[in-house]
Amino acid sequence: MPATVAGKPVNGPNKGLFQNTAGFSTLITVTVLTLAWLAGFASRLFAVIRFESIIHEFDPWFNYRSTAYMVQHGFYNFLNWFDERAWYPLGRIVGGTVYPGLMITSGTIHWLLHTLNIPIHIRDICVFLAPVFSGLTAIATYLLTSELWSRGAGLFAACFIAIVPGYSSRSVAGSYDNEGIAIFALQFTYYLWLKSIKSGSVFWSICTALSYFYMVSAWGGYVFIINLIPLHVFVLLIMGRFSQRLFVSYTVFYIIGLLLSMQIPFVGFQPIRTSEHMAASGVFALLMAIGAMKYLHSLNPKGQWKQLLIVGGLVAAALVFIMVVFLTYMGVIAPWSGRFYSLWDTGYAKIHIPIIASVSEHQPTTWSSFFFDLHVLVCTFPVGLWYCIKNVNDERVFVALYAISAVYFAGVMVRLMLTLTPVVCILAGIAFSILLDLVLKEDEIIMTPSEPEESRNLYDKAGKVKKRTQEPPPPADAVLGMNVRSGTLIAFMILLMLFSVHCTWATSNAYSSPSIVLASYGNDGSRKILDDFREAYGWLSQNTAEDARIMSWWDYGYQIAGMGNRTTLVDNNTWNNSHIALVGKAMASNESAAYEIMSMLDVDYVLVIFGGAIGYSGDDINKFIWMVRIAEGEHPRDIHEADYFTERGEYRIDSEASKTMLNCLMYKLSYYRYDSGGSPPGYDRTRGSLPGNRGFKLTYLEEAYTSEHWLVRIYRVKKPDEFNRPRIPLAKRTIPTSNAVSKKTSKRRKGLLKNKPTIVKGKKVGRLE
Amino acid sequence: MEAIFALPFTVLEIPNIKIKKPIWLQPPSAMTTFSLVLLSYFLVTGGIIYDVIVEPPSVGSTTDEHGHSRPVAFMPNRVNGQYIMEGLASSFLFSLGGLGFIILDRTHNPSTPKLNRILLISVAFLCILVSFFTTWIFMRMKLPGYLQN
Repeated sequence: MPATVAGKPVNGPNKGLFQNTAGFSTLITVTVLTLAWLAGFASRLFAVIRFESIIHEFDPWFNYRSTAYMVQHGFYNFLNWFDERAWYPLGRIVGGTVYPGLMITSGTIHWLLHTLNIPIHIRDICVFLAPVFSGLTAIATYLLTSELWSRGAGLFAACFIAIVPGYSSRSVAGSYDNEGIAIFALQFTYYLWLKSIKSGSVFWSICTALSYFYMVSAWGGYVFIINLIPLHVFVLLIMGRFSQRLFVSYTVFYIIGLLLSMQIPFVGFQPIRTSEHMAASGVFALLMAIGAMKYLHSLNPKGQWKQLLIVGGLVAAALVFIMVVFLTYMGVIAPWSGRFYSLWDTGYAKIHIPIIASVSEHQPTTWSSFFFDLHVLVCTFPVGLWYCIKNVNDERVFVALYAISAVYFAGVMVRLMLTLTPVVCILAGIAFSILLDLVLKEDEIIMTPSEPEESRNLYDKAGKVKKRTQEPPPPADAVLGMNVRSGTLIAFMILLMLFSVHCTWATSNAYSSPSIVLASYGNDGSRKILDDFREAYGWLSQNTAEDARIMSWWDYGYQIAGMGNRTTLVDNNTWNNSHIALVGKAMASNESAAYEIMSMLDVDYVLVIFGGAIGYSGDDINKFIWMVRIAEGEHPRDIHEADYFTERGEYRIDSEASKTMLNCLMYKLSYYRYDSGGSPPGYDRTRGSLPGNRGFKLTYLEEAYTSEHWLVRIYRVKKPDEFNRPRIPLAKRTIPTSNAVSKKTSKRRKGLLKNKPTIVKGKKVGRLE
Repeated sequence: MEAIFALPFTVLEIPNIKIKKPIWLQPPSAMTTFSLVLLSYFLVTGGIIYDVIVEPPSVGSTTDEHGHSRPVAFMPNRVNGQYIMEGLASSFLFSLGGLGFIILDRTHNPSTPKLNRILLISVAFLCILVSFFTTWIFMRMKLPGYLQN
């Protein structure tokens, strides 16, 4: 709230009162940015205040665990860390399969604070890292927007991004994930890129490359940068906007950025080997070709050079393209990986890679997600884009491309709303700033926000298109009545206020759940905390053998490793599809077939999440169909998706469900001995039906632990000598012996020697029989 | 340098061709570009990609207590699901709001007479407010607890 309100006064600092306009606007800038930082930080603390300072969800648990490892064992040991606790029996080379930027960032902060003798636990740093970085993102957005338009727009954009739900969804306190710092790196890299393309200086290009390096170390989304910047260059070339500045900044950025990005072990040689990065090198080659032709032109500025240039450019582009296609065909360059390919061919993941399609954040976006994450900005976004296209220059081409590509990607995957949000904030900032300029502009002239722009024009080369931003001449204002003006202003204020109300509400209600601790509300508004996950993981860590192997669906791998400290078979780093499919197959098979797989994999315990008793919809039965699909992908002969549906193609669990469904391991483990959940005992509140198969017995597993609300159920896998034995009544189990010695002493003996002296406890040794 | 370049041309004769740019190949105007962008924005925010992948029905239906089937326009309680028509309706409202803001900017053209200007302003505000509050209502229909507690 304070952020948007504070954003207003910037547009009309009263010149009469304060003579020193520059100093005054700096003061306002600093104040607004500080307030935005504070507001952003504060609005992300709902989870901490409601629950406690705790790491959320799934991936953050791994990040936290590896950060703790790094802090404890040092950076180099972290890089060489082989984690034998994950992906049993394969293990995972953590140092080589992780983006280390996040761990290094919080490790550095930890080290710094401890050097200053501020003893703070690494967990608290991890919890609060993302909210702190949201302030930095706001500042980076301010810089980027003021580079694009004006400082007023920048302040608006900073305030928007500080509280917008699309960004706070990934950066609330406790969601310790790569995205939290990566959005800052993204915005800052773009800012530096615009700076370098404007100035054409090697210094700014190298800064861009360094910032890009940080981004590469932080998040796999760096691919977005390394494709968007070349796209920008390419479009500028098409528009005939080649310049020496462009040439210098791109070539320097590309080479240094390429070398730096290859220093991250996880990235390695990918930048020169995979298709995702080929656009960048193609544009590099093209730029070189055009640069060479320009040079030739400068040697002999006569003749039909312009046409030659265009044709030459086209030929060069075609050559580069054919080259890339050829190399891909030859196998030198790896083709698009499935994750990226599914962005273009949207049906691809659904058909070929169920493991990507199964993740809920990889689903395509609906209108309500757009509205929920962006609110009023979703309307003002096209307006800002319109201004940018209308008054185009090199930088605004960039932001337009950024906007268009981000909108498309956000439409394909809910998760990529995150990359759309910053550009929406930028453009909405521009739109609001211009409209408020028009409304607020008093009869006297110039506003502060446009001033830096005037000075920036000095850098522009002559002959370039000058900005016509604030061209509409003053006479327009004379006609606009005071009433209209104040009415408009009030309407805008209300819009912005509703926006901040919505943001706070969305962040508080939708995005601040730790999902480790669940909260339910009673009718009287009382709150009940369901802490089943930690209860069960705590049980695991206390009551199972140190090297026990826990089988669960991959979602819970990181949490079991992080909180239970036990070995898992599969986890959220879904690098090995066949291993996951094996677990899925075990869950989807009947008990005896599953036992075979489980003994093959050395499983000691099986953990399932069952939400039927409390109506928790994210449980394993609801995810089960994806397990079947993934298993079918690898074992098409044993598992058939259609077997798990009723004849009418419905997915249900009551008595009408298919036989395969009612007898599979996941079903049995979920409903074994289940008698809670409402009026008919055993009623499933999540699915709203009575399970079809009840009162069964388990042969190969036994219940080891069930948490308070039935949410987590743990089963122990029996050893081969524990089952498969006919039950013998007690009378038959005792073997009658003719000369019975005292039963008490000889009970546990395997054999007896006649007349052998025995030691009877409690008697003196000397008095032997 | 010059001599090296001239070398091939001692043998070859330079053909006298004029390469003409095709007439239809013009850089699109700002307005065309923007209209295209706005159109695609309309489609994407309406969840057209969702519609293509998930293939939901255009309008859902439910059975009430009398056993009659009633159409339902909004998939309730789910942010991650939608029917085709609700998506298009809301994205239409988003675009309408955007157009309202653009019209508002147009009012500052000095050559428009005062009456037109006031008309334009009221149209713009109508667009913005209608789009904003209708979207609000849509959201309330979709998430009954929206902005409460």
